[in-house]
Amino acid sequence: MAYFARRFLFFIGTLWAAVTLNFLIPRLQPGDPAEAIVSRLAGQSESIDPAQLQAIRIMLGTPDGNLFEQYLQYLGAVVQGDFGVSYTYFPYSVTHMIGQALPWTVILVGVTQIISFIVGTLLGTWAAYRRNSRVDSVITLGSTFLGTLPFFWLALLLIYVFAITLRWFPERGGYGGGSSPGWSWIFISDAFQHSVLPAVALLITGPIGWIIGMRNNMVQSLGEDHARLAVARGLPRRRIALTYGARIAILPNVTGFAIALGSVLGGTVLVETVFNYPGMGRLLLESVSSRDYPLMQAIFLFTTVGVLVANFLADLLYGFLDPRVRKAETA
Amino acid sequence: MTLLQVENLSVTYTPRDLPANRAVHDVTFDIDEGEFVGLLGESGCGKSTLGNAVLRLLSPPARISGGRVVFDGVDVTTASEDELRALRWTDLSTVFQSSMNSLNPVIRVQAQFADTFAAHRIPGDVTARATELLELVSLDRHVLRAYPHELSGGMKQRVALALALALRPKLVVLDEPTTGLDVVVQRSILTRLAELRRELGFAVLFISHDLGTVLEMADRVMVMYGGEIVENRTAAGMLHEPRHPYTRGLLGSYADPRLPDVQVTYIPGRPPDLSRPHRGCLFTPRCPHAEDACREVHPELLPERGGLVRCLVAQEDRLPVVRLGAADAAATIGSHFPATGALTDPGGTPDVVAEAVLSVDQVSKRYTTRRGLRTSTTDAVRDVSFTLHPGRVTALVGQSGSGKSTIARLVTGVERPSSGEVRFEGGSGPTVRVDRLRGRALVDYRRHVQMVFQDPFSALNPTRTVAYALSRPLVNFAGLRGTAIRERSAQLLESVGLAPAGQFLDKLPHQLSGGQRQRVVTARALAPDPQVLIADEPISMLDVSIRAEILELLGELVRNRRLAMLYITHDLLSARLLADEVLVLNQGVLVERGPTRDVIGAARDDYTRLLLDSIPNPFAPAKRSGDASVVRSAQPGG
Repeated sequence: MAYFARRFLFFIGTLWAAVTLNFLIPRLQPGDPAEAIVSRLAGQSESIDPAQLQAIRIMLGTPDGNLFEQYLQYLGAVVQGDFGVSYTYFPYSVTHMIGQALPWTVILVGVTQIISFIVGTLLGTWAAYRRNSRVDSVITLGSTFLGTLPFFWLALLLIYVFAITLRWFPERGGYGGGSSPGWSWIFISDAFQHSVLPAVALLITGPIGWIIGMRNNMVQSLGEDHARLAVARGLPRRRIALTYGARIAILPNVTGFAIALGSVLGGTVLVETVFNYPGMGRLLLESVSSRDYPLMQAIFLFTTVGVLVANFLADLLYGFLDPRVRKAETA
Repeated sequence: MTLLQVENLSVTYTPRDLPANRAVHDVTFDIDEGEFVGLLGESGCGKSTLGNAVLRLLSPPARISGGRVVFDGVDVTTASEDELRALRWTDLSTVFQSSMNSLNPVIRVQAQFADTFAAHRIPGDVTARATELLELVSLDRHVLRAYPHELSGGMKQRVALALALALRPKLVVLDEPTTGLDVVVQRSILTRLAELRRELGFAVLFISHDLGTVLEMADRVMVMYGGEIVENRTAAGMLHEPRHPYTRGLLGSYADPRLPDVQVTYIPGRPPDLSRPHRGCLFTPRCPHAEDACREVHPELLPERGGLVRCLVAQEDRLPVVRLGAADAAATIGSHFPATGALTDPGGTPDVVAEAVLSVDQVSKRYTTRRGLRTSTTDAVRDVSFTLHPGRVTALVGQSGSGKSTIARLVTGVERPSSGEVRFEGGSGPTVRVDRLRGRALVDYRRHVQMVFQDPFSALNPTRTVAYALSRPLVNFAGLRGTAIRERSAQLLESVGLAPAGQFLDKLPHQLSGGQRQRVVTARALAPDPQVLIADEPISMLDVSIRAEILELLGELVRNRRLAMLYITHDLLSARLLADEVLVLNQGVLVERGPTRDVIGAARDDYTRLLLDSIPNPFAPAKRSGDASVVRSAQPGG
């Protein structure tokens, strides 16, 4: 139990550090967001009217008080899920904007990540099981080849072939103009149609890392003494491959997978931009290009917290999967 | 009846970027049912490769390039995987070296037994059967619930042995089963193995570089050199009348430390490079009896005096005659191998003892471990006092876990004692209280106290040259700059016998042999010109044939440079050879101390006697079996 308690304290500590850094970093940057907005509204050359500036400050809810008071206010707001008002999507709140974008990303990227991990682990295991056979060559060389293709090129190729030439799937967006978000059959099938191409793009490149990692780890653990002894003990090949190879080889990948799942919250900027998909990645890109500080900050915080939570869960899982870790921590 | 027949077996390694290497060449031998056969040789002679070939466990780039292995009527070399699986473990099982990695780390011991039974469709209660097997090797049933990392090395090795006997095989291949274990643990495992073999009647192929163990355990011994069997005869025959010069050389590295005069020898030179073609006898470059014909003609393995030997000189009966009885063997064994360097024990009364450079005064070290809310304390060292003097070697002997390494850490200032004082009196200034040093003062102190580590393979950075390894202490402690560093490095290498130094300075560790690496580690320890040298098991990872060489070097350095040495070991023979004074440590307490010859020759404490009795002793094989109960009671759980 000491292992799990220690992991939890570590998690709380990192979480606090992440939240605090998220508060500090924008304040250490030069420039004032309100001035930036006014100068954008008024044009570069004109002078800024102090009253205008004050109005915008009030509208945006720019904090007052010293840094420490601001920090306390910020902590309180974060705990309540209040991230302020978006500058670009005024008067919508940041929470509202994220609430709009998050489901799209979580469903598209989350589902493809899980499928990628499962497919990649299975293919990697198969390649290692049939090491140096044709299966191994096809899997290893094939995934290395696909891994070298630029992702955006692959995505554009998919759009060109399946959306523009064959017209099987829509080329952009999360749903068509004819349907509006809701639990209707029309909307769901429409959203599914729109998600096929981005999902395929993600699924082509997603498993590659898992394949290579799993294969190499497993080849290594099958070369160790305990696996050779299992051969000498006359265990069936499949039993050796699973319990003496894959069971050990998957351990480092579990951590990698948890981190990958955690970073889903931040969205994948590239795929959402290419397919104009209304998820977190696109929201992040827009917030950065329009200097929407509250939105940006909230997305960063979301990503960080996502990775931290995922990491914590991975640590817990690892404690169950690898008995050596528990021991090493307590000793 | 013949159980295993190996006929003209050759194994070749064909690595991708290196020349092919014939690790095993034209090996032929038989093992009868119930026979205990030892396979002996230095590292790299092909003995493990041969064992793996017999089990058909070779993996690329190694492959059987000729000959066959027939086990109980089945040709193992050509059998299909299915035929082989039927044979495996039910008839032919194995224990790998030291079992650090031979159990699956993520499943419990019980599951590894269950796997084995399931694979061979053995019905019945796994727990009951496994418990019974663990009892065979004197382990408690709670071990079944443990994961491998929760067991000590000795316990893991017992589990591996229990696993090997699970299906009552006809032949067990034991590949260095006790290498890396403590002498006392080794003794208890070997004793149990001998008893089990008498009870169960399986045959054994026992692979080891440890001649003492092999000769003591085996009915018949095969000696391998350069991938070939060079001698094959009964253990008793080999002990009384070794016929191959290499066997004689190996025997020379053994002696009974209790005898009044102890002398060991070593075999100069290195084993042959098997990736290059050779003419004549492979042992010629290291052989004291080599003749012109040996350089031209490759000798055959021919019957000779009741055994087989591959040596022209022996076959033509021109070897110097030795016929030794067990009683006087140890005393004179060194003499029939006229090696260049023979190491005799320091013996005699020491010269006038100089002032102590380092005093350890009533030192105790207590470790507190916290698990949840409970705390437990361990007294690693209790009330230990001793002094180190220039030009003298003090040996600290004891089993693993006896507190030897803790004392080394206290002396080097890595840890502080819970009570007591460590004083360094060798500096130019006033006495240094080592137990109070910190920061810069500690760094200054360490130039005077240097260490030689156990494992020369991991004590050197594999990506840096010898010159770099030596330059670090020269820059940090001696403050040398520029070309002076290289000059001083060369001098250091020559002082440890690596001459000409130019050949070694730019080599990487992997290009050196184990003995050469240990010399480099020693040179590095000498670089800051220390007054105290702490050698922690400096020879235990080295081949038996070269151990004496390193001991000789350490002995010379101590006497020529007036170093004070703390020699930490569990090996009493080496302590006998090197040390002036011996301290015996048992569970953190000094139980016996005194001049080496008195302590080892006439031990008074039971624990010292236990350590002495645990040393594999081929010269007195008969008295072994009686000691078993003593050994086991002293080492519960092993």
